[in-house]
Amino acid sequence: MPALSGDLVVFTIASLLAIGFALAMVVQKAPVRSVLSLVVTFFGLAIFSIQLAAPFVAVLQVFVYAGAILVLFLFVIMLLNLGQEAAEEDRRPLQKWLGLVAALALGGVLSGAALRAPTPKGMRPPAVVPLADEIPTIGRLLFSDYLLAFEALSFLLLVAAVGALLLSKRRFE
Amino acid sequence: MTGTLPGVAPMAVPPAAYLVVGTLLFAIGLAGALLKRNALSIFLSIELMMNAVNLLFLTYARMRGDMAGQMIVFFVIAIAAAEASVGLAIFVALFRARRTVDVDKIALLKW
Amino acid sequence: MSPTLSAALEGAGKIAFVWGVVLAAMLPNLIWMERRVAGLIQDRPGPNRVGPFGLLQAFADVLKMFMKEDVVPLYADRVLHTLAPFILLVPSLTTFAVIPFGSKVPLFGREIPLVIADVNIGILYVFALASVGVYGLVLAGWASNNKFALMGGIRSSAQVISYELSMGLAAIATLMAAGSLRLVRVVEYQAGGTFLGFLPRWNCLTQPLGCVIFIVAAFAETNRVPFDLPEAEAELVAGYHTEYSGFRFGAFFMAEYLNLVASSMMMATLYFGGWSLPFLPSSGLLGGLLSIAVFFAKTMFFVFLFMWVRWTLPRFRFDQLMDLGWKALLPLSLLNLLWTGALILLKVI
Repeated sequence: MPALSGDLVVFTIASLLAIGFALAMVVQKAPVRSVLSLVVTFFGLAIFSIQLAAPFVAVLQVFVYAGAILVLFLFVIMLLNLGQEAAEEDRRPLQKWLGLVAALALGGVLSGAALRAPTPKGMRPPAVVPLADEIPTIGRLLFSDYLLAFEALSFLLLVAAVGALLLSKRRFE
Repeated sequence: MTGTLPGVAPMAVPPAAYLVVGTLLFAIGLAGALLKRNALSIFLSIELMMNAVNLLFLTYARMRGDMAGQMIVFFVIAIAAAEASVGLAIFVALFRARRTVDVDKIALLKW
Repeated sequence: MSPTLSAALEGAGKIAFVWGVVLAAMLPNLIWMERRVAGLIQDRPGPNRVGPFGLLQAFADVLKMFMKEDVVPLYADRVLHTLAPFILLVPSLTTFAVIPFGSKVPLFGREIPLVIADVNIGILYVFALASVGVYGLVLAGWASNNKFALMGGIRSSAQVISYELSMGLAAIATLMAAGSLRLVRVVEYQAGGTFLGFLPRWNCLTQPLGCVIFIVAAFAETNRVPFDLPEAEAELVAGYHTEYSGFRFGAFFMAEYLNLVASSMMMATLYFGGWSLPFLPSSGLLGGLLSIAVFFAKTMFFVFLFMWVRWTLPRFRFDQLMDLGWKALLPLSLLNLLWTGALILLKVI
């Protein structure tokens, strides 16, 4: 049993937050409330990222994911006026139960596999040890080891922006 | 399955805990993707699954002392942004054509 | 005293100081100042009944807000309607955590750095909070079940996210110059060198374009004139806070003023040298206290600038606003990045 420490308390609170609001997101009927529950889940995940010595990723999750992508979701929901979801007649309850069981089974299998996996040996030595001066390291890696991926990513973002514009243009016929 | 690296303080919370939370969130996201009928809610559940995987990547990065995990997460977040914009544009176009985003009703390809 | 306890006490003391100064000293005076400055510019007295020179006007306003009936519209989403002002308020209150409000103060045998949380992601924290604040605006509009409020909310959030980009890009140029994301380092960089031999190395002098872009974007981010179409009285009733009254309207109001103060602090920190003045000592107890005074003086100057512009300029139409943000400020901020990069490479700064 790990000793009670500030880290453990923060972890417990963050995990309750993340899991609780993820469940809320799945259970909520109104899409707006689902989005907001997901925002809180992302805050919990950001707290985890800080604990895992990745503060840059944490702030990226809040800034980009919670602060931009989910705002986009919210805009689209408002644009399509999906305020009240249509009354869900449960026409196929069997499918719902099967889906639930499948998800639980997969979750169990994955957890078991993750916990039992041995620490990999014989892989190539790690790039750099984090925990100190992480942000300059990320910057340097982006422009050296991961340069191709970085450039491809910028191209991808351009394509996505153009594609989104084209797809949502109204065609006046 | 330890979180200890030479020369670095050990993790106060055992890494197994992060892995369990990550896979749990993944399973919740999967349940949402399977059970919801609103296309946007399904998309949200997929985003949750991606973030659960991000958490796993970060845990392994911290355990092995490898920055590659954090770089992967960086790229995944950026790609999720691109994917969300295109996906939502598709939903908007779909809504304009079919006046609904209920996936049960968008069933033109069925037999 | 264990190090954790002393660190906690130190943090609590700094938070109490900053919130005390901002909430207790600045906010009431800002409310009064806004109306007196308006009166000054419009050649009329402004409030002068409540207390000497109308100084207690803020308390009268707050009292009025508490006394008003709290209305939630009929088919509105109650939970979201109640939550929205606080989603806007919390980021405004916590932005002050990373802004250095002074150099160092030697107390209790140690040098206490005058910043609440010197995290190594510094400025990204401020931007992340600003982007989370958008939810308050959007939800206030949506949850009010009112077309005008919805329009106001959507316009306001579209404006905020458009100008976030230019603001971030302009700020990146200052981070390039300082070499770190930490605001403490940015201020130390500006305090610790000279530009062209005799001028202090303030970023407003080395990157004037970036400074202008940041100031304009900050006006847009805080929904102040000339960018206040989303809450303009003549256009959209009251925009996203149409259906709010009483305490929750007061919360919106407070959030707006806190954003104002935070933006002024950011301007002072990023571009005008933060707590430093060229010929003032900044070490020792006297230096530390002087640096706090200098920082708040600069902040108050920018607050006055916000108010001055409010009562001087007419407001933008929404399409003009979006054009300015995307077609003008964004390319200019990229240009500013090139300019700063060139200066750094040529070792001028």
